[in-house]
Amino acid sequence: MMRHISPPTRIMLVFLVVLLTLALKAGIDPTRLAGDALRKLGMSAVLVLSLVPMMRAGMGLNFGMPIGVSAGLLGMCLSMNARLTGAAGFAAAIGGAVAVGSLFGYVYGRILNVAKGREEVAGVFLGYAFLPLMSVFWTLAPFSNRKMLYPVGGQGLRPRIGLDPFFAGVLDKGFDLTVGGVAVPLGLLLFAGVLLALVALFYATATGKTFSVVGENERYARILGISVEGRRIASALLSTVLAAVGICVYAQSYGFAELYESASVMTFPAVCALLVGGASRWRAGAANALLGVAIYQTMYLLSTPVANAYLASETTELFRMVVTNGVILYAFLRR
Amino acid sequence: MVSRKCLALVLAVLLSGGGMSFAAPSCCGPAFAAEPFRIAIMTPTLSSSEDEFRAGQNMAKKYPDIVKHITHPDNFNAEIETTISQIVSLADDPQMKAIVIASGGSGFLPAIQKVKEKRPDILFITAPIWDDPVLMSKHVDLCLDTDWIRRGETIVRKAQKMGAKTFIHYSFPTHLAKEVISMRKSMMEKTCAELGMTFVEVITPDPQAGDGVAAMQQFLREDLPRQIALYGKDTNIFGTNCPMYDVIIDEAIKQGFIVAEQCCPTPTQAFPTVMGLEIEPEDQGNFEKINAMIRDYAAAHGMTGRLAGWPIPVTIYLPELAVEVAKRMIEDPSFKATDTRELESFGKSLFGVGVEFNHYQDMPNYLVMIMESIIY
Repeated sequence: MMRHISPPTRIMLVFLVVLLTLALKAGIDPTRLAGDALRKLGMSAVLVLSLVPMMRAGMGLNFGMPIGVSAGLLGMCLSMNARLTGAAGFAAAIGGAVAVGSLFGYVYGRILNVAKGREEVAGVFLGYAFLPLMSVFWTLAPFSNRKMLYPVGGQGLRPRIGLDPFFAGVLDKGFDLTVGGVAVPLGLLLFAGVLLALVALFYATATGKTFSVVGENERYARILGISVEGRRIASALLSTVLAAVGICVYAQSYGFAELYESASVMTFPAVCALLVGGASRWRAGAANALLGVAIYQTMYLLSTPVANAYLASETTELFRMVVTNGVILYAFLRR
Repeated sequence: MVSRKCLALVLAVLLSGGGMSFAAPSCCGPAFAAEPFRIAIMTPTLSSSEDEFRAGQNMAKKYPDIVKHITHPDNFNAEIETTISQIVSLADDPQMKAIVIASGGSGFLPAIQKVKEKRPDILFITAPIWDDPVLMSKHVDLCLDTDWIRRGETIVRKAQKMGAKTFIHYSFPTHLAKEVISMRKSMMEKTCAELGMTFVEVITPDPQAGDGVAAMQQFLREDLPRQIALYGKDTNIFGTNCPMYDVIIDEAIKQGFIVAEQCCPTPTQAFPTVMGLEIEPEDQGNFEKINAMIRDYAAAHGMTGRLAGWPIPVTIYLPELAVEVAKRMIEDPSFKATDTRELESFGKSLFGVGVEFNHYQDMPNYLVMIMESIIY
């Protein structure tokens, strides 16, 4: 059985069990931990899932995720600017995110087709180049809702916008459920679950399989008459749109939309979670995303409280860094 | 060839004309100033810190012929050379008489030393920078900052008055490695012991290493309810890093705990974001109005007397004060900025709020301040 589990998954599972034992020994409330773990799983699942389409099409890990995240933030800002609240606000944010994400994703895909074989490095630098442009946009765009603007100067969007007056927690609190003292954010889990299922189903269809063929064997795909370039653009588009939706899900749960440089910090944890879930260049699916995000985010949740309980804060922090970056390095070495 | 010479000539004429038009208004400056002069203020960019940036802008708007506002790069530590050359090039202007640096960063001293070698007459005021205090006192003419260490006592006392029985201090390794922050923490611990309060220290993920600010904020989101379940609502939360406060104040409103003072006390950080304050154009920069909005929101959420801070942002107060002091020192050489009482009354006349200045560790030109509190 263990042989089917990839080494990063194994390492992380062992680390997780150690942390869990320590946490319970330190008297940290297990029901609260379980509730938090479920919420964190729902929060990040879509962002991790967004890596799958590009992985499938052989375009590697999407280090250009900030582009999709920016599209999602723009969708949210448009919805907030129109003063839409609750479910309507969130739906509008998702709509905006999908629209902007499609546009960004299409252009991103075109660029990645030029940088074929070097998509990951190109993605990193596209992300870096794109964020300053977005920073200029956030400062100059003519948004008019004063709840979003800088409090002193009144021009430009705040680096962090509170979502409470808009759609904070619409999914989390949508169908709140308490099972055995554990608060289950059912709405959030359902939303993420539906998206995961849709992606899994898509790749099981005939059309979906053509995408996987492009990733597995490009020459064979060409012989079959599949438009490789077209499938690659579609994959980048899908990844970008999912990242855009993912940040909306994350933000409504977190309670703030974070603009400017913050769009860049989502990538590494997501990449690491997917790899921990056992994904590799040849095998990446919704299941890997789900497993990975569950393990990785729970580890995240546990490590700091455990460190505080045992007064060894630097050690776990360092260990977590080593694990995060080590897992990404491992993925590169295995190619 | 001829055309190129013509172009050069035209450009030269245009430039000198431009120069004249620049110089012209300064002849109409204050009558008591012996000659026209300029003051430069360097702040972070808008997205990294709005307060200092707006302070610089305000001063440039108030004294358009005197004040020049520039910003240093966002990731200051990585682009230290750019920052140094920016400061050094300010000294190329012969009319430049004072340079104010307002940035919560360190590494400015080499630039200051370089300028002082070339132009010893240029006055330097920091509001604040965080280099080594002894070296700063040696090279900078006037160092201004908040009274970090004494705040370790005043914040705890204020929290106790507001009803706190427990005091939780959130920080992380790179912050605790800074002398002033760890000294303030020890002071808080000591004061808590004196007042019979429980002091709890919690370490958060380090935003300056690894996963950045998001991991820290996410941890606070999860940890604050845990701590409040453990210690009850009469707990004061203090965090050492500004971005913590969006989450701390948001959770305070949900959980009902006390926030006696932010690390950089200001009504313009965290409060407007968390409370979704809609500040009308005419109220922009009107702190009385913003404070009233915060008070109303706190009252509506049953948080009266649980949140407090300083009435105006220290991050606007210090940079603006520094520019005003520089201007005053140039115009009126008898003004003694290093005299705490003189500086206090000068500050009061400008901003209308009470501020107490003290010398930091008996350094004559290093002045640290504490502002009067506002309890919402």
